[in-house]
Amino acid sequence: MVRFAKLFICACAIAALATSAAMAHQTSVPRRNAETIRVPAILAVSMQLGAPPAGVVDLKFQDLFKLPVGPKGLETTDKLRNLDGKRVRIVGYMVRQEAPSAGSFMLSPLPVSAGDEDESLADDIPASAVFVSLPNGKDVIVPALPGLVRIVGTLHLGAIEVPGIDRLAAVRIALDAAPERALLRVARAAARQPTGAR
Amino acid sequence: MSSTLLPRLPLATLAIAALGCFAVHASAGTVSRLTPPSELFSSGNAEPVIARFLPGQLFDLQATVQPDAGQAITNFSFFIDGAPVTSRADPKIFARTSIVTETGPAATCIDPVTGKTTGKSGCVLVAGLPANTAVISHRGFSLGVPGVRKLEVSALQSDGKLIHATGNFEIVGVDKSSGKVAKNIIIFLGDGMGAAHRTAARIMARGYAQGKAKGLLTMDTFPDTGMVMTASLNSIVTDSAPGMQNYVTGNKANNNQEGVFPDDTLDAFDNPRVEYLSEYLHALQGKSLGVVTTADVFDATPASMAIHTSARGNGTGIVDQFLDDRQLTGLSVLMGGGRKWFLPNVSNSVSPQPANGSQRRAANDYVLPDDVVAGWGAAKGALDPARDLIGDFQSAGFAYAPDKTTLDKAFQSRVPDRLLGLFAYSNMNVAYDKIAGRRGHGAVVDAFGFPDQPMLDEMTDKALQVLAKDGRGFVAMIEGASIDKQAHLMDSDRWPLEVIEFDRAIAVGKAFAEKHPDTLIIVTADHECSGAAIIGASTATAAALQVNPAAGASVVGTYDAAKFPKYAIADDGYPVTTNIDHKMLIGYGANADRYETWLSSAFPTKDSQQPFPPGDSPADPGVRNKDIGFLISGQVPGDQAVHTATDVPLSAYGRGSRLFHGVFDNTDVFFKVGQAAVGGVE
Repeated sequence: MVRFAKLFICACAIAALATSAAMAHQTSVPRRNAETIRVPAILAVSMQLGAPPAGVVDLKFQDLFKLPVGPKGLETTDKLRNLDGKRVRIVGYMVRQEAPSAGSFMLSPLPVSAGDEDESLADDIPASAVFVSLPNGKDVIVPALPGLVRIVGTLHLGAIEVPGIDRLAAVRIALDAAPERALLRVARAAARQPTGAR
Repeated sequence: MSSTLLPRLPLATLAIAALGCFAVHASAGTVSRLTPPSELFSSGNAEPVIARFLPGQLFDLQATVQPDAGQAITNFSFFIDGAPVTSRADPKIFARTSIVTETGPAATCIDPVTGKTTGKSGCVLVAGLPANTAVISHRGFSLGVPGVRKLEVSALQSDGKLIHATGNFEIVGVDKSSGKVAKNIIIFLGDGMGAAHRTAARIMARGYAQGKAKGLLTMDTFPDTGMVMTASLNSIVTDSAPGMQNYVTGNKANNNQEGVFPDDTLDAFDNPRVEYLSEYLHALQGKSLGVVTTADVFDATPASMAIHTSARGNGTGIVDQFLDDRQLTGLSVLMGGGRKWFLPNVSNSVSPQPANGSQRRAANDYVLPDDVVAGWGAAKGALDPARDLIGDFQSAGFAYAPDKTTLDKAFQSRVPDRLLGLFAYSNMNVAYDKIAGRRGHGAVVDAFGFPDQPMLDEMTDKALQVLAKDGRGFVAMIEGASIDKQAHLMDSDRWPLEVIEFDRAIAVGKAFAEKHPDTLIIVTADHECSGAAIIGASTATAAALQVNPAAGASVVGTYDAAKFPKYAIADDGYPVTTNIDHKMLIGYGANADRYETWLSSAFPTKDSQQPFPPGDSPADPGVRNKDIGFLISGQVPGDQAVHTATDVPLSAYGRGSRLFHGVFDNTDVFFKVGQAAVGGVE
């Protein structure tokens, strides 16, 4: 019971993260010029997330691995395994990469950067961060959007090396066409800006 | 003197070179780097001597040679005091030498406009060198006779000209008539722990009455104390890699580098090496090595006891080398966090597959050049992200403990011969949160997924039991890693508890030394972190601070108003709470922006590398308490406090402790330990 109680606390904490745009005040990600980037409505997170679209299952970061961590590593949950190949919706922060990679980004439960030359090196990205790919935008560098975003796409379970970051991700999500189009528009707009916004 | 033969060097040239007649052949080519580093090479001044070694300690000789345009380096030799480092006796020595040039694709690696190297991915040399530059090496060199030695290099161009340079180094003698040797060496390394960190922990854990401390930290009771200068090879402000490795190699390293000198190649594992204390004493006396940390075991401080790389972030290669080179280091104990590096990564196979959180990648793994393998007897290495490193440790006889319960069980029937403990995915949780978990408030440790982590004193006890089994003695490094990490984050409630935890581990070490008087204990830091200072104490109660968390400077009691903060200590040895009335207040001289409430944060800041970082964890001090706290503007870039160049205290106990007096360089510690361990002390 104690463990369930603790899990409940944890779940509440992360659920709050997923549903409260107010948390965005803690992010260090949008400090540069990301504030100038408007989050497309299809990706924006409002106080009420609402039910997911038909055929889409909500996935939270704490749904990825079992707790506590096992002696030989992280173990995926039954829920995650059952979602392999299916469409999911997940809310998180786009990882700001010092060297952005084309056609993809990482989505994290916390606002983090990759490639900081500080004590933690490139180690700040949580293991539960997921790799998000743009199937039709392989050459496009997507700017990191500020605050929480929601994405919808098809989940693929299995470790993958993230280009441009010294990381592995356990989960890949191929964006649905609609949010991908929105991100491509953001990328095009950012590319037209003279400086900074990328 | 170990030596080499240059098989293709014309005998006449060799003879001329050996006679020192280099001026006859002088050319416009240059030597742009000569290793070991020296002021004689860099500035022409013979002093200070930069590189120093114990008799018989291995190190590499290396030079970066820029020949004349259109020429190539075809052969070379190093000379010590005019004598060539050559031998016709041992053909195996040939393999210790190498000439490395830019062999990557010319279109990528040579700038067509400047004709210089680009340093791009897939190339060999760093950027900005002439395209025909050669890095020449002689691996695994050593000398036995003390004294300052002249080092010369002579490189032969394809047109027969010689390029020459001179440097120096010193072999520091050991007095073997001094008495008894220290069999066991224990280094307690409080990462980032300056004098203020020690004082703060004493105030919190022991308290003061009418100006006198009511008790001392264990480290305060050590009879001998000195001050250490902590600079690295390339900066007055070191990071943790040279900060640690300077103590245990006797030589300065560049920031981010461990067990190596800098070079001009891109390969992070081919730098010229210098032998560690562990390797030296394992070869000389058969001593074992124990590495215990509260950080990820790949982190700079633990790696700087045994690993040779110029890139402290190369986690996969670092943890592999811990095991692969155990025959060189005597590694018997490795404990800390960092399980993610030990899990097999079968990346990019078809779904579904194990998604176990592995962060092993070929890109930061290692394969050594043949000359390093031959010169050092090191394992070749392999790019093997699919390696099950926990399994390999177990196959090598290591008992594996993933948590405290398993750790305790491993000792129930007998003390294991070797021990691997990986108690967290990356860094272990800090004492503040581990103790909270043991007191029934496990929100943080549970959320991170590791509710059963040992404290550092418990890890130290187990490590010393294992290491003491081998009668030949040991070298152990016990690190309080998050003193630094929490000081970076300016979390004034968490780092003092890290120091308290660290001091409890020191108490375990001191008890061991009392039973084993042939033990030397050193307590020090790799550098100071954050410019921490105890500025006084709050004039407000904890309740008042809760009501007005933006009180800021208005509640900072200085001088008389600080009085003597009184913390209640629980039976577990830690404060009941840090949020007492009139609590001790900390300021930071190397600070980034932070919002201060003078109260503790429920969740640790930026511990985001864990698998399940709580959503309540603030990203950095610049946003922690942003809506409620008092803004203190920082003086440094970035979002964390930084290391400082301030000297750090070193306290010593046991056999040889009297050697540690006065103000000395961090590299001096190596030679003092060498004297105690090899030569002995009265």
